[in-house]
Amino acid sequence: MIFYVTANIKWNNLRIRGTEMKRTLTIFSMLCFIFFCAYPSGALADEVTVSAAISLKNAFEEIGKLYEAKYSKTKVLFNFGASGDLVRQMVGGAPVDVFASAAQKDMDDMNAKGMVLPGTRADFAKNSVVLVAPRSGKIKSFEDLATERIKRIATGNPKTVPAGRYAAEVFDYYKLMSVIKDKLIYAENVRQVLDYVARGEVDAGVVYSTDAAVRSAEVSVAAEAPESSHKPVVYPIAVMKGTRNEAAAKAFVDAVLSKEGIAILKKYGFRIP
Amino acid sequence: MIMDSSVVFSLRLSLQVAFAATVLIIVIGLPIAYLLARKNFPGKELLDISLTLPLVLPPTVTGYYLILAFGRNGFIGRYLYKWLDWSIMFTWYAAVLASFVVALPLMIKTGRAALEGVDRNLINAAYTLGHSEWETALKVTLPLAKRGLLAGIVLSFARALGEFGATLMVAGNIPGKTDTMPLAIYSLSASGEREQAAGMVVLLTLVAALFLYLANRYSRRIF
Amino acid sequence: MGLSVCVNKKLTGFSLDVSWAIGDELAVLFGFSGSGKSLTLQLIAGLMKPDGGVITANGKTYFDAARHVNAAPQQRSLGYVFQDLALFPHMTVRQNILFGAKGVPEDERNERYRELTETFYVAALENKRPSEISGGQKQRVAFARALMRRPDVLLLDEPFSALDTPLRIEMRAFLKDLRKTFQVPVVLVTHDAGEAASLADSIIVYSEGSVIQSGSTADVFSNPADERVKRLLLGQEDALRTFDKRR
Repeated sequence: MIFYVTANIKWNNLRIRGTEMKRTLTIFSMLCFIFFCAYPSGALADEVTVSAAISLKNAFEEIGKLYEAKYSKTKVLFNFGASGDLVRQMVGGAPVDVFASAAQKDMDDMNAKGMVLPGTRADFAKNSVVLVAPRSGKIKSFEDLATERIKRIATGNPKTVPAGRYAAEVFDYYKLMSVIKDKLIYAENVRQVLDYVARGEVDAGVVYSTDAAVRSAEVSVAAEAPESSHKPVVYPIAVMKGTRNEAAAKAFVDAVLSKEGIAILKKYGFRIP
Repeated sequence: MIMDSSVVFSLRLSLQVAFAATVLIIVIGLPIAYLLARKNFPGKELLDISLTLPLVLPPTVTGYYLILAFGRNGFIGRYLYKWLDWSIMFTWYAAVLASFVVALPLMIKTGRAALEGVDRNLINAAYTLGHSEWETALKVTLPLAKRGLLAGIVLSFARALGEFGATLMVAGNIPGKTDTMPLAIYSLSASGEREQAAGMVVLLTLVAALFLYLANRYSRRIF
Repeated sequence: MGLSVCVNKKLTGFSLDVSWAIGDELAVLFGFSGSGKSLTLQLIAGLMKPDGGVITANGKTYFDAARHVNAAPQQRSLGYVFQDLALFPHMTVRQNILFGAKGVPEDERNERYRELTETFYVAALENKRPSEISGGQKQRVAFARALMRRPDVLLLDEPFSALDTPLRIEMRAFLKDLRKTFQVPVVLVTHDAGEAASLADSIIVYSEGSVIQSGSTADVFSNPADERVKRLLLGQEDALRTFDKRR
């Protein structure tokens, strides 16, 4: 886009005079300099890259600060998204040191591909699945989803979002799938589901209880899915085999499992297995 | 290449969306291009810039603005919802809207250039021979700008066909409802179904190349 | 029968202020390029709007600043032949000429078409495109088109300037015949003294946006008002000879 703009300016100036063009070229090269110097290229040795399920965003960012305070030379880089997308990225070659997913399945997939560093896997958090509605919403239970009033329901895309798979399991448990199939709107990750509900674009959505708490002012929890209606939501964390900084990666996992880490997770509503 | 029903659906949907968007683009874009080419009025360049913005802005920014306007609580969407109990979000109409907004600048820029390229004297001659502005536009200006206008239409169609970012934001990616080919390719490759994605990728590439070729042929006179 | 023009217009770097009138004659607006002659034609035709003044033709008022009258070009009964002729490239000769018949009743249309194309010897070209006919033929088609509506005045903006000499002489004869056949006042813009001498009944001399002399051709040629007019009539010898031959 910058090129389009500067190309236009340059063209007009070329018609005028040589000095004008010199001035434009100077400004242009200054801009290039700024852009290219502002972003150091290549990874520094003292960095830990953590790919984590997006529902862990708030808790992990705080744990990250804790970690950086303790290990002042190391920087933590977070990459949040739907667990399925994160797996795709790593399989595609993304250099990740630590991976934390919202379901056992995604970590199992990584393990099956031989990408998990043995001995580093651990379960560190549990969550519940809830039905949420915009604050003014009048829905009281999962069964209400079948009523005419409810026209749009947001869930994660079951292909890549664990929350979407859990939602599908809950719908099957309540035998709602055939009725509500046409009302489903798939989102790219659980936070996007939350956003759709908060903005009122949909009448209801299925997220984790920890997500609902983050935007409690804009969404209301209509119901919590009974534990028997879906696979247990247990979060595993592990160091990846291709890590370039094994010690730092292990230290991050330790931070998550530490007393302080547990306190932060609990603060955001996670339960500890 | 696996041509199952979902691939066929995406193909049909993409063509449907692109076609509808292009019709809108012609109906709305052509008069605007004419206005910009032939008339002077206060705020003219501002209008040109604001209509061209989607061409240089990232599609996600355009998508953001569309949500601001047409989301259920948007400043237009809220009235739609209030009076018609209907929101455009997550429907294929939203895909048409997104494609329309991002491809309109192409029609306007190309159309304006083509119309401005018509010899002023010819238009003046038509006036002195007693033909009104409307008649002159129909019988002289438009026919003489035909090639450039066609190039604009072809380019707009191709752009509408390939629209992704804004579409994803306002129409979502709902299989069987709003997953146009670019969106379907995105989900398929994200979930590892590379073969199906590959089929659509090849198809879209061929279609895009074909349209570029056509656009080049028509626009050789003005570019 | 006549045309009366009194207009002023200010553009960036140029100011026009002229006043003249003609009857049923061939008047030449004569002067160097850039002196405001073509601009005057455009104002008469309504393609541009004067800042002030009055324009009337054949008793009808086309423009009157004081009374807020400004007829659109479509409503002025004028025939205009542009410098580059402005024939529509996407139409055939027949379509071009018929394009000039707007407002002519159906039954008369074909009559006039036949009359004009025969008089101007372009009937055989009717299905050709302008790009396929010669310079002289294009000229005659342009005139035919301009005359379809039997305008009150013919405005010609240096129509012959791009032609080579033999063709130019041929077109001068054509124009003289045209005046005899269709009695319509003609305003011809040119910077060629020979053309003025050969065709004009009266000459209106332009210089930098004003009229510095006007009168019959004989008067202007024998008594140029000042140095500027004399300079314009350079090549006077040729012109005078042409003029004398006419008499």
